[in-house]
Amino acid sequence: MYKSQKRALLYAVPGMALVLIFVYYPLILTFYNAFYRWNAFSPVRTFIGFENFQRLFSDPVIGIALTNNTLYAVISVIFQCGLGLVLAAVLENKMFSKFQGFFRTIYFMPVVVSFAVIGILWQLALHPASGIVNPFLHLIGLGAFAQDWLGQSTTAIYSIIFVSQWQNIGYIMLLFLVAMQKIPTDYYEAAAIDGATGIKSFFHITIPLVKEMTLVTVVITVIGAYRVFDEVFIMTEGGPGMSSQTLVTYMYRTGFRTDEMGYASAIAVLMFVVLLILTLIQIRVAGTGRSKGEG
Amino acid sequence: MKKKFIAIIAGILMLLLFATCGTAAPATDPSGAGAPAQTPPAAAADAEQEPITLRFLHKWPEPEFRPWFDALVESYMELNPHVTIIAEAAGDDPIKDLLRIVIGTDQQPDVFFAWSGEFANNFVRAGVVLDLTPHLDADGGAWRNTFMRAGLEPYEMDGRNWGIPIRVNSKVFVYNEALFAEHGLTAPETWDEFLYVAQTFRDAGITPIGFGNASPWAACHYITGLNQKMVPHDVRLVDYYFMTGEFTHPGYVAAHDMFLELHDLGFFNPYVNSTTHSMAREAWFMGESAMFYLSLGEFRTIAAEIGPDGWGFFPMPEIPWGEGRPNYLVGAPDGFLVSAFSQHPEQAIDFLQYMTNMENAVSLIQEIGWPSAVIGAVEAADAPDWLIAGVNNLAEADGMALWLDTDIHIRIADVWLPGLQELLEGTITSEELMQRVQAIAQEVRATYE
Repeated sequence: MYKSQKRALLYAVPGMALVLIFVYYPLILTFYNAFYRWNAFSPVRTFIGFENFQRLFSDPVIGIALTNNTLYAVISVIFQCGLGLVLAAVLENKMFSKFQGFFRTIYFMPVVVSFAVIGILWQLALHPASGIVNPFLHLIGLGAFAQDWLGQSTTAIYSIIFVSQWQNIGYIMLLFLVAMQKIPTDYYEAAAIDGATGIKSFFHITIPLVKEMTLVTVVITVIGAYRVFDEVFIMTEGGPGMSSQTLVTYMYRTGFRTDEMGYASAIAVLMFVVLLILTLIQIRVAGTGRSKGEG
Repeated sequence: MKKKFIAIIAGILMLLLFATCGTAAPATDPSGAGAPAQTPPAAAADAEQEPITLRFLHKWPEPEFRPWFDALVESYMELNPHVTIIAEAAGDDPIKDLLRIVIGTDQQPDVFFAWSGEFANNFVRAGVVLDLTPHLDADGGAWRNTFMRAGLEPYEMDGRNWGIPIRVNSKVFVYNEALFAEHGLTAPETWDEFLYVAQTFRDAGITPIGFGNASPWAACHYITGLNQKMVPHDVRLVDYYFMTGEFTHPGYVAAHDMFLELHDLGFFNPYVNSTTHSMAREAWFMGESAMFYLSLGEFRTIAAEIGPDGWGFFPMPEIPWGEGRPNYLVGAPDGFLVSAFSQHPEQAIDFLQYMTNMENAVSLIQEIGWPSAVIGAVEAADAPDWLIAGVNNLAEADGMALWLDTDIHIRIADVWLPGLQELLEGTITSEELMQRVQAIAQEVRATYE
């Protein structure tokens, strides 16, 4: 503890100044800009009050984008957090510990590759005439499920979400692995002596003791799902039609394509509000946000 | 404050561009391929002039085109040692966004690419583009007289000239001559003949028309031509102007129905919305489809892929019952604007004059096969037959319908183009799409009224 609170505050000033300038100032500016009609290359700005915010409620693309982001979030939580947790538990199992390094690398490798590369590769792989996904489905007897994955508004967003899961599951798995390695082995040994199976140990020891990491991964995944841009922009540009637009791609489109910076700012405000609410709910649902044993 | 904030974003974007595409004083291609004509430096007198830096933004980062621009910049700097040109290139789609970001900042390029029509007019209205009329008219119109009218006119607004064309592009159907001969077919001149040709190929199990609409500008180019042919000229011009556009003429719906018919009759390859233009073009190169709708600027790629012979082209066939003017082509010039905020406008214009002099116009044709907008360049360049034929086709046309997406207000285009993908998918009808277009046109009118 610092003896002088004033000195402590003084040390915090540079950091606070940076946060104020680069986080809070743009945030306030975004709110302010949403009340105007303006574009990036003209000095003309027209005050239009709440018109941009009202438009959010009548614009059908906002509904599509919000639905897509929510789908993205729900599916990502189930697959990335759920499956990532299971994968981590499997790799932590004694039977697999010998191969853990190998599988960890395999699962993590897509994370380090730029989505520009991954997106184009999957775009080719998913093409119904020249890609490899549909022939593979036919090969394993699931030919009935072959689709024009990115060319139909009913499947485009799911295809993008799938690719995103494929890329990011390794990262979430790694976070869970780190959390699991902090669990004392005594707990598992004691449980084994009491006759607990591996699955019971997973549910009664592993899951409760990685609760904090679960919260972290869910927050990361949900926030990531509402900020998704690259995946959509590279694979479908929001199409066919507007079917795979997300809030960020639509915000970008209105700001930099259709010259409506004011409306783009209003979309940014909407995103801020949605994420704030979701984060508060997650923190409340997950409890205090403090690890067991912390004071 | 807003400008400063945008300037920071623009600065970061420009830095990224330099890292990926930017070339300050790029090296000339040692092989000489793709290089514009080199004039020996005559710059001794230039040595003591004040150093000048120009930013130059174009839209051809592709390896087959970029070297020509890099060498052009290099040769200009050799002639003008006090000038440094920072050349940047962003592709067809990214440049639409990039321009909007950088133009409003102090990082804006001095000379930058812009499509003609509403795309350029949007910048003109914002007051960020230099009026080039006095420069074109200087010395009795010496510079103006070097350009084809079809190149300069689309860059006019309010009777002033705002852009300088580097090439004049148009859209045509190319076809595989061997496949046509095999089925006893000739290039169609009317829409009914076109449908007959397509049906003949369809019946023979050959894809009649290669088409990739993953980016919906591809469908938009079809609609550009069909709108022109189906809607009376005057009505279309009134509709395309954002302050007066209503889009209620039935010719628009008919145009979309005719386009949709090509799809529904199986004349296009399947999966059009997930196939890119280049994928479909590759398939046409390999003989998998009989016809393909592409631009004159792509002729050189065809010649490189399948040779100068064995293929021909025809413009979009005439529609006798259409109310639009006959003998119009789909197309537009590509060109450059000068920033109104350039610190060195005279030098920027000098660079544009250098870019469009006869020597470089000839080089443009010989090295990258583009139809220069400079009068007499094609003849002087001893251009290949396919290019001469393409340019003659342009010269014979009575007029041009500019690309729809750059000729109408961007907010209308942003509803219309995605709607074309939905139309092909079958989720909306032509009527529904035009109702959306009418609604957004009304919204745009209300915004500016």
